This record gives sequence, C-alpha cells and structure tokens, in this order.
Amino acid sequence: MTFPTLLADTNADFWFPIQGSSFAEEVDWVYDLILYISLAFFVPMMAFMVWCLFKYIKARGTKAESQISHHTTLELTWSIGPSVLLVWMFVQGSISFLDMRTPPEGSYDIGVQAFKWGWTMDYGNGTFHPELHIVKDEPTKLSMRSTDVIHSLFVPAFRAKKDIVPGRYNYMWFKPTVASEKISDEALAKLKKQNEGTTWDYDKVHTIQTEDGERELQVTPEGYTFFDLYCTEYCGKNHSEMQTVVVVHETQAELEAWIKANSSRGPIPMEEWGELLYARRGCSGCHSVDGSKLVGPSFLDLYGSQHALTTGENQLVDENYVRESIIAPKAKVVAGYQPVMPSYKGQLSDDDIDSIIAYLKSISSNAPTQPAGAEAESEEESAE
Amino acid sequence: MSNATLPAGARDPGYPTERENYLTNSSGILSWMFTLDHKRIGLMYLIGVMSAFAVGGLLALAIRLHLLDPNGWMFSGAEANNIYNQVFTLHGAIMVFLFIIPSIPAALGNFLVPVMLGAKDVGFPRLNLSSFYLWVFGALFFVTALFSSGLDTGWTFYTPYSTTTDTSVILATLGAFILGFSSIFTGLNFIVTINTMRPPGMTWFKMPLFLWATYATSIIQVLATPVLGITLLLLIAERTMHIGIFDPEFNGDPVTYQHFFWFYSHPAVYIMILPAFGIISELISVHSHKHIFGYRFIAYSSIAIALLGFLVWGHHMFTAGMSSLTTIVFSALTFTVSVPSAIKVFNWLATMYKGSISLTTPMCYAISFIFLFTIGGLTGLFLGTLATDLHLHDTYFVVAHFHYVMVGGTLIAFLGGVFHWWPKMVGKLYNETHGRIAALLVFLGFNGTFLPQFVLGSRGMPRRYATYDPEFAFLHQLSTFGALLLGVGLLYAFVVLMVSLVKGRRAPANPWGGVTLEWQCTSPPPYYNFERPPVVGDPYDFHNLEWDAENERYVTTEPERKLVPESTPEEVPVHAGGQK
Repeated sequence: MTFPTLLADTNADFWFPIQGSSFAEEVDWVYDLILYISLAFFVPMMAFMVWCLFKYIKARGTKAESQISHHTTLELTWSIGPSVLLVWMFVQGSISFLDMRTPPEGSYDIGVQAFKWGWTMDYGNGTFHPELHIVKDEPTKLSMRSTDVIHSLFVPAFRAKKDIVPGRYNYMWFKPTVASEKISDEALAKLKKQNEGTTWDYDKVHTIQTEDGERELQVTPEGYTFFDLYCTEYCGKNHSEMQTVVVVHETQAELEAWIKANSSRGPIPMEEWGELLYARRGCSGCHSVDGSKLVGPSFLDLYGSQHALTTGENQLVDENYVRESIIAPKAKVVAGYQPVMPSYKGQLSDDDIDSIIAYLKSISSNAPTQPAGAEAESEEESAE
Repeated sequence: MSNATLPAGARDPGYPTERENYLTNSSGILSWMFTLDHKRIGLMYLIGVMSAFAVGGLLALAIRLHLLDPNGWMFSGAEANNIYNQVFTLHGAIMVFLFIIPSIPAALGNFLVPVMLGAKDVGFPRLNLSSFYLWVFGALFFVTALFSSGLDTGWTFYTPYSTTTDTSVILATLGAFILGFSSIFTGLNFIVTINTMRPPGMTWFKMPLFLWATYATSIIQVLATPVLGITLLLLIAERTMHIGIFDPEFNGDPVTYQHFFWFYSHPAVYIMILPAFGIISELISVHSHKHIFGYRFIAYSSIAIALLGFLVWGHHMFTAGMSSLTTIVFSALTFTVSVPSAIKVFNWLATMYKGSISLTTPMCYAISFIFLFTIGGLTGLFLGTLATDLHLHDTYFVVAHFHYVMVGGTLIAFLGGVFHWWPKMVGKLYNETHGRIAALLVFLGFNGTFLPQFVLGSRGMPRRYATYDPEFAFLHQLSTFGALLLGVGLLYAFVVLMVSLVKGRRAPANPWGGVTLEWQCTSPPPYYNFERPPVVGDPYDFHNLEWDAENERYVTTEPERKLVPESTPEEVPVHAGGQK
C-alpha cells in the first residue's frame, strides 16, 4: 500500500490514520470485520455475475436454458442466513459504542467551547487556549458547548466524534495512547526564524533534523507534533478552517507546566499578549487586522475612531467601549454588522482585556497615546 | 409474416400512423402545455429533470475542480469559501429535490404506469398535469431563491444555522414545500391508478415489478412528504416569529429539527432508490430473456423497505447526542433494512443464471447498477454499525456511500431505464455501440470519482470542506479526474440519444423482447394506448416471443390453444333426461 504521504501525524496505513487512542484499535477491528464480511459477499457475487456474462451472453433470439421462477428454500436461506452476520456487526458495534459513550469516573475534565470558526479549550483557573493539550494514558473527558450553531468535534487519530449542540452540554471522552514528540529547541528556533512575521501554518511540512535523522514533520508553534482536530458539522463560511490540534503530553507534570506557561501574560509586554489573545481566543475569525471587512469590523485603525451604531448613534471607540463590546457584544452593534459575537464575560481577566486594548491601540493610527506612526506601521506590515 | 422461420400466428402491432402517434396527433405549443396525455407529461418531466440534472452536474464539477488544490482552485478571493458553500448547497438541493426524487417516478413512471397497466391514462389526468406545473413552478421558485441570495445552509437546512444565516432560507423552503406537493400528487395518482385500473387478469402478483416498486414509492411519497412540509413551515415560523422550537436562543432544540427533517428525508432516500429497483428488475429479466427469479420476494421486499424505511431516520444522528438506548435501537432497525435490499440483488443475479443475455446498452447499465449498488449497500453497514459510524460520520466516507446509492444506484438505473424505454417513447433506435461505450465511461468515471472518497473518509477527511489539509490532496485529485471522466461519459450518453432522434432507425414495437404490456402497443404508443383493455398473464413469461431476424424485432406468437374439446360430447345433454 504505497500512498504518497505527507502525513506528519499519521502512519501510512491504507485505510486509517495512526491509532492514537484506546478506541482506535477497537474501531479498526470492527471496521475490518465488516470489511472482510462485505468482501466475502461482494467478490463471489461479482465473480458470479461476470461468469454469467461470459457463459450466458447469447445471440439474439436464443431461448434461455431455464425459465425457473423461484426456489423458496434457496431464497429463504439467502434472506435469513446473512442476518446472523448482521447481528454480529450490530452487537460488536454497540458494545464498543457503549464504551465510547461512558467516560470513566475521575476522568481529566477539559471544557470545550466551539464557535464560528474556532475552538477554545478551558483548562480551568482562567487558562484558555485553542489547542487541546492532554496527557497520554489519562482518560480525558471533554465537556463541550457551542455559542452559535452546531459544531462537531472530530479527532481522526482517536476515532472519536461528537456533535456540539448549542443550548446543551455534550460530552465525549477518550484515552490517548500515543504521545506527541517535541522537536529540539534549536530546530524550533530555526523554524521560528523562518516564519517570522507570518501566522503559523500548522499544515506546513517542515524538514527537521531529529535524533532519528531528517524527518518530515508538522509541528505547533511550540514545537510539538500533533493530531488534527476538525469540525465535522457544517457551520458556515469558514467551516473548513475550523481546525485545531491535539497535543498529547507524556506526563501530567509536563501538561501542568504547559498550562502554567499559557495561563497568564507573564513577563511579555501587553501588546504582544493582546496579539496572542487575538489569535488564540477566536477574535481573528471575525475581525481582520488589515482593514478588510469580515463578520465583524476590522481592528485596524479601530481604536479612537468614530462608528455609527445600528441605533443610529455615533460611538467613539475607547477603552470603555472595547471592554463593553467584549463583555456584552450585543449591547452596541456597529451599523452594517449582525449581532452574532458571543460574550467573553468571565473568560478574560482584566489584564487580558487591558492587553487587548493595548494591542488595538498599537495597530490604530487614531490612538491618541500612540507616538505618531512608527510602531503602528511596523505592526501593520507584520500582520500582512 | 414473410419470415419462414416464424410460426404462422406471429403478431406484431406494426407502426402507428401519424394520426395515432401520441407525439404527432396534435401539434403546437398549446397542445403540449394543456395536454392531459400522461405520455406527453412524462416526456415534459423527462426534459425538466434532465435540465435540472445538467445544472446540478455542472455544479458538481465546480465542486470537484475547486478541491483540486488543498487551498481551493476554482474559486478565489475573500469569498471563496462562501462561494464553495453555496455551490455544494445548490448541488445537493437541486439534485435531491429537482432531479432524483422526481426522476424515475415522475418522468419514467408517468409514461409507463398506465401503459404497463393497459390503461388509457392515469386515474386523475388533470391532477397529473397540475403536479407537473407545480414541479415547474416550484423548481423556478427554488432555483431563483437559491441563486438570488446564495443559500448556504446545505440541502439539509440544519438549525440553528438556517435560522441565523442571512440568505434566503424562507424562499428556498417555500420552493421545496411546493415541490413536495407535486410529489404527493404524483404518488396519490399512482396509488389510485394501480389500485383501480389494472386490466382483466392482472392480479397484484401479475403486475410488473416496476409497478410494485412505483406503488411502494407512492406510499412513501404520500405518507412522508407532508412531514417535510410541516418541518419547513415550522422552520419558517421559527425564523419569522421565533416560536422557540428549533432555535436554542428561544429555548428550542436544534436536534428536534433533525428528527423532523430525517423523518421525511430518510424515507425520501427510498423514494429515490425503490423505483430504481423496479427498473432493474425489468431490465435484468428482459435482457436475460428469462423469468425474473423470486418475483414474490422482490415484490414483498419493496413493500418491506417502504415500511421499514420509516423507522430508521435516527441513524443520521448517531453523533448528535441522543440517549445510548435510542442510538442502539436505531442501529438495530437500520440493519433490518439491509435485508430486503440484499434479497433483491441475490434475485437479480439468480435471474441472469442460465438466461440468454443480450449485452444491450440498458443491460450494461443494469450490470453496472448491480456492481455499484452492492458497494453502496455494503458500505452502509459501516455506517449502521455504531462504533465505526462515530469515526466515519460526516466524513467523505458518507459522501462516497450515498453517491454510490444515489448516483451508482438511482442515476444509473434511470439511465438504464431511459435507454430501455427510449425506443418506446420516441420511436427511434439509438446506436448500440456508442451507447455501450458511454455506459462504460460512466461506470469508470463514477468509480474514479467516488472510490477514492471512501479512503479519504476513513482517513478522516470531513465533508463540506472548502479547503483541506495537504495530506488529502492526492486522493482529492484522483476524485476530480474521475469526475471529469464521468462528465464526459454522461455527455456522450446524452449525445447518443440526441443523435438517435435525427438519424435513428425507426423502432419496432418490441425491440428487446419484453412481455409487459408497453411492448404490445406500437413505438411510440398511440395517444389512446390500447383500444380495449388487453387480457394479460404472467409479465415475465417469455415462451411466446420469437426473434424476427429479418425485421430485427421480437414478435408474439399465439400460444398453442385447444379450441376443440378432446372428448366427444354426449349426443343427448344430461339435463335433457335422455330425451332427444
């Protein structure tokens, strides 16, 4: 089975991606069971048909050898006989399904919020991140909710999928069995340098020097290999871009260290943290930074400008307005846009909101506190 | 009969005069617009559904071309994803509502049902014409709505996306609502016609299997389509009045919408495939010149599918978060539907055994159908099984599966049916060689398009994606090249038919050797079909057909009849009591 493969996260098995969770083996086994039963019927049937074609194609006008119209025993046999196999498939499938439906007690719980068009994973204590980070061999339960339309979370390597329906919580669980690798710091530094000034492309395949020689890998900005996570319920314009990644850590300690590193701003400057939040918390799905109109108003030159609202009033975009729009987005909607933004109330700390405001100021030429020009322009260029 | 090899009593209806021919007995656009002749209505439907298919097919090609490149090839710019979403919505909606559902029942069914019954017309000819106009009106309405604002909900109109998108959901659903009525009228008409207008001797179990399939289809149309109507009305009410049934923002439940929708749309799948089963039963038997094997099993299985089809809608929602018990029950019920479908395939294969097969163009399609539908049916098992469905749900595996059933099944059967009854409908024979080449191209192109999609799906490629990860590129490209070949094949088949209109030989009454009643009237039939209801026997008894090589046609011979009793009657009747 040679398939041209660019897969960083998958082995080139013909049918399936890598078996990354405890479900995978079971599901693949049931799949193979059905596949071989189906082939055991399909191949002889088609062989019989082709044989009939060779044997019984006759000149026109030739009478058929037989005009037999039925054979009740034979027909009952082929009607009832295969049912046994169907029951087998059904039972196997349902047993595995019940396993997949019932999260074990004490699973590690992560909140998932799905929105058009992105993901926010809630690690507790105010730590949010678009990537899903979990621990190897640790049963993990996802408590999922959607703030707009139906989405569906699918990790092919885990063979796990569940719809996320607005208005209710849906749960799923899995136990990852394969850990992500982390590339060396030097290799990562090199990649970072190559990608300077562009948004990180998870799908890009890098040639990376590792201990086992050169390998083709897809990695996260932090240098982890990953499993793909897709939205599989059609949710509008950028449905196909509603993807993120799953990183499986070797140990709980490693995960905790990662969560800590991503929990708050730390030592980096506010604008930079604001920019990170812009990318991580889903702002970028609807608000551009290059002036183009997406679902919401562009962030470029937004701060300090005047906007007409749907009510007809004029609104100056200042700190208070930005803060209000994050916490209660539907209160004052800019004319020409739909009130579709979900509220971030309770999901961003004061420092986070301040950082976002700082970021907005840094990309606006209207910002009064900005020393005219220089920094704003350099930001714009990097955003392109 | 000049042919010496033919027995003396060979019968053939000959050819219709221009006065009798239903195509020429009256002329002018109005004679078509106001016709009550089921054959003309069927032909107009045929033109209608083929036009819809052409539009839907071009959209399909646009989809495949866009997916040639992971970042999208066909459409570009900031709105590329939006355009893609609109195109796949249009493709699905047009193919489902305007093509597949009316294709066989409305186009071929209208032409064939009364003729197969030896009747003059359907039970309610005016209702029939009105259902055609509803279809035209609904189609125009629907397509205008789709194109004017670029509907982007997918053909399934899932809430709450459909209640929040700013495209013209209301107009489009009204269009689907009107089309639903057209479908109900046709179904009602066929039920009445089949129940009340069978000729002397045609008991239920002497009906051609196409009529059984049509009857089963009509039952579904009449029972299920109203539910779609209700669902769409509720959707409109939700959008305009926020009644709070489907939209969580007003305390509705989006999954309720899915239950409503699939309660219609799963039986609708059988509206699409059952008539195809009927066609294949006819084609396999006639072109193998052998009695259909297991008539009763095939007939009963059509009815079984029609009824069981109402109980399995939940398998579209295995991942939606229904309770475990519900999910498992739906899975079990789903497996029961696979049995009657399997029965039919076994019976068709058994019919070919020891037959005398003519590899005509319709037979090529029938064989192609058995191959493709079997794949479509078997891959359904992967989706009915819960463990594997959780992985495969909403991936390309599903896309490939239902295209194998809808295209590999229904479309191929429709093409087979069109090629089979074309000489009867228009009175011309097409070029067999070119017909077969087209069938082969369609077969190869179809497999090229959809086989790779099974692998794409099991490897995790989600459906309805405008862009995709680079690791899937190779299989997507294979699929696109297959689609181009499929397009060429279908165009070729169309050209073969069109050329036959101009250059085709005049068709005899019975070019294939069928026994059902439509082959006993001329090609094309006279406007009145039959002068008087014909007396009929077994529709698959080929004993009294002979090949007339000189005129390249089949003729009916007189069965050997004993007109004179063998015993000499008593000279004096018994009741005369011995008196002379």
